[in-house]
Amino acid sequence: MASTLLDDLGRRAAPWLLPVLALAGWQAAVSAGLVSNRFMPAPLDVARAGLAAASTGELWTNLGVSALRAIAGFAIGGGIGFALGLANGLSRLSERLTDTSVQMVRNVPHLSLIPLVILWFGIGEEAKLFLVALGVFFPIYANTLHGIRSVDPGLVEMGRVYGMSRAELFRRVVLPGALPSIFVGLRYGLGIMWLTLIVAETISASSGLGYMAMQAREFMLVDVVVLAILIYALLGKLADALTRRLERATLAWNPAYRTA
Amino acid sequence: MLLDAIRPDADGADRAREAVPARPDSETARSQAAPRRGPARGVAVTVRDLRKAFDGHTVIDGLDLHIPAGQFTAVVGRSGCGKSTLLRLILGLETPTGGRIQLEEPAGVARRNVPPKRIMFQEPRLLPWARVVDNVAVGLTGLGSRRERRERALAALAEVGLADKAGQWPATLSGGQRQRVALARALVSGPGLLALDEPLGALDALTRIGMQGLIERIWQQQGFTALLVTHDVAEAVALADRILVVDEGRIALDVRVDVPRPRRRGDPDLAALEGRILENLLGESPAA
Repeated sequence: MASTLLDDLGRRAAPWLLPVLALAGWQAAVSAGLVSNRFMPAPLDVARAGLAAASTGELWTNLGVSALRAIAGFAIGGGIGFALGLANGLSRLSERLTDTSVQMVRNVPHLSLIPLVILWFGIGEEAKLFLVALGVFFPIYANTLHGIRSVDPGLVEMGRVYGMSRAELFRRVVLPGALPSIFVGLRYGLGIMWLTLIVAETISASSGLGYMAMQAREFMLVDVVVLAILIYALLGKLADALTRRLERATLAWNPAYRTA
Repeated sequence: MLLDAIRPDADGADRAREAVPARPDSETARSQAAPRRGPARGVAVTVRDLRKAFDGHTVIDGLDLHIPAGQFTAVVGRSGCGKSTLLRLILGLETPTGGRIQLEEPAGVARRNVPPKRIMFQEPRLLPWARVVDNVAVGLTGLGSRRERRERALAALAEVGLADKAGQWPATLSGGQRQRVALARALVSGPGLLALDEPLGALDALTRIGMQGLIERIWQQQGFTALLVTHDVAEAVALADRILVVDEGRIALDVRVDVPRPRRRGDPDLAALEGRILENLLGESPAA
């Protein structure tokens, strides 16, 4: 009984072993004077900077602004990508009309549009939303399309033989069959969402986490810069954990996603 | 049983059978078989000069066939002889290039009560994301309320001996169990015609024999017309009232199996018949 409890605890703690060790080593290296505090602040200094930023409310405002941009951009780009992926997966005509154009645009690195976007939108919210939406669009589109394509045609035929209407066929066969692939797109999309947002905020913004980090650089506040980077890591982990939970809930039928 | 309640007038099948060109000998074959307990609701199938070509390559070449209601017919033949195509044509999964296929439903049955045609594929083709009971309920798409569908699905699962698996995912079942779920799905709506497209081909020998017994028992209870495509002559001989050997898109041999049911494995009459059919199959192409 006690041993299974320990096992469970061990399993839960194992993924965090490496990050904790790294932190401890880092703290020790700075305390021992092996690394200069000017280039790499100790974890405790970063924590202090975090507390300070949190107590003035500056951290929360910037975090809120960034999160809002991320979510809105993701919703717009992901929504369009999902809808177009569905349309092109289900209709040959739609695919013939749009797929080539989408593939061409996809090969343009979306971050290379930053100068153009600044010219168009200035450094306002639209610029960030546009870039995030554009970045998120492609992985969601491509994976939704691929998911629908890879639905077993035998199952679709079975659904037809058993008299399913087109709507039923979509809801009961095609969509669930495409779901694992759609989730892959979702994860990629989330990664690109953070990446794009941070780059955009670092280059041109007057609020947000990226802006906070750039401000800190101006004043040589290394601890705040590191704080911002750590927060990115945590946010990325959070988004990933949420997707995982969603996958487990909706893909419980799939042995590959079943909880161990 | 659970399905009979909705089709009180299924004896119309016998009248329908009289209307079609008689094949008295096959009728005697049936009367020698074990007595049917359930009412017959089978659909008679008449095929005239059927042709099917894929990209100019002829697969079915002027085939004539009549299957009386309630008969268990097995179709055997070498691979590529067109036996699966014949089955898919009769089910309406392919469009014929020429000729016609006529399904005679039991007379006097209201349009909406016409028993459906069902097919069991080579693979179970279960929806992996639906629980076992919901997979069976797919067979009742568009029929009754959600609760009715569930109840009938559970009854059909009990019929194939899987009542305790109702709440599981298909991925947790064995191959034989999955194919039994597919059988329950095919039968839950009380079909008039059940087409079986090598449904047992992927199962191990023992599971196969169990499945054959199950299919035979349910067929005897429900009285649907069964059309089994198989490459296993022993299976055809064990189950069918009549065996058709298809070669080059035509029926090369039409044999009645007059051995009474229940049939015993290793029965000398069955073995002799199996030998005869195999000889015919092999004799036509000694090189193969």
